[in-house]
Amino acid sequence: MKFEDVKCKDVMIHICENLKEDLDSEKCRAIKEHIEHCTSCADYCTSVESTISWYREYDPGFTDDMHQNLLKKLNLE
Amino acid sequence: MSEEKLIHLAKEGDKDALRELVKQHEKTLYSFAFKICRNKDKAEDIMQETFLSMIKSLKNFDGNSKLSTWLYRITVNHCLMSARSKKKELFVEPNDDDELFAEKHAADWSTIPNQSLENKELREILDQSINKLAPDYRIVFTLRDVQQLSTEETAGITGLSVAAVKSRLHRARAFLRNEISEAFKK
Repeated sequence: MKFEDVKCKDVMIHICENLKEDLDSEKCRAIKEHIEHCTSCADYCTSVESTISWYREYDPGFTDDMHQNLLKKLNLE
Repeated sequence: MSEEKLIHLAKEGDKDALRELVKQHEKTLYSFAFKICRNKDKAEDIMQETFLSMIKSLKNFDGNSKLSTWLYRITVNHCLMSARSKKKELFVEPNDDDELFAEKHAADWSTIPNQSLENKELREILDQSINKLAPDYRIVFTLRDVQQLSTEETAGITGLSVAAVKSRLHRARAFLRNEISEAFKK
C-alpha cells in the first residue's frame, strides 16, 4: 500500500485503534508516512494523545481525612 | 510482607493485614472511581462500598487473579450500579464510525492553546465530555488508557472480549477527542 492511497479517515481510525503501538505492517508503514506528509492527520494524532494525557493526569487527590473515614466505615480504626 | 501473605492473614481476621491491604489500594480505587463518576463524594462512597464488599467476600478470593484486578471488578460493578440511577438518554454510545471519523473532525487542533490541568475551564470540559460517554465505554477508556492496564486485563475486569475492548476503546478515544475539540471552538 502506498502512502498516497491512504485516506485521512483511515488514518484517524488507525490512530485511535493503535495509538503508541509500534505495529510493523505494510499498512502501518503507509499510515506513518501519510502522517509525516499530512498536517491535519499529524494534528489529529497529537490531539488524541493530549486527550488521553489530560485524563491520565487529572487526579482528584486523596486526603488523610478520606483514609480515616474509610477505616471508620470498615471498622478498622 | 507479600500481598499473598497479607491476604492469607486477612482471611483469618487479622485487622492489621486488612488495614495494610486497604492502604495499598485505597488511592488507586478512589482515583479510578472518580475518573468514572466525576464526583468526589460519589467516588468516596464507591470506594467505601468496594472495600466493604472486599471484606465480605475475601474468603472467596481464590488468588487466580491479582487482588487489584478483583478490586477493579468490584469497583466497576458499583460504578455501573450508580450509573443505572441516571437516565440512559443522558449518555452517548459512540458506535457510528462514519460520524466519529468524519473529515470535519480532522480540523486543526493547533488552534487549541497549550492547556494545563490547572486551567479550570479545561477540567470542566474534561468532566463534561466524559460524563456524556456511556458508562461501558467510559470504564474501558479509564481502565485501558488512564489506569494503563493491558487490553487483556481490561477484558478480564469488564467481562468483555478483547475485540470488544479494542472497539470500545478506539471509539471512546475518538469521541472524547471530538468533544474536547468542539468545546474549545465555543
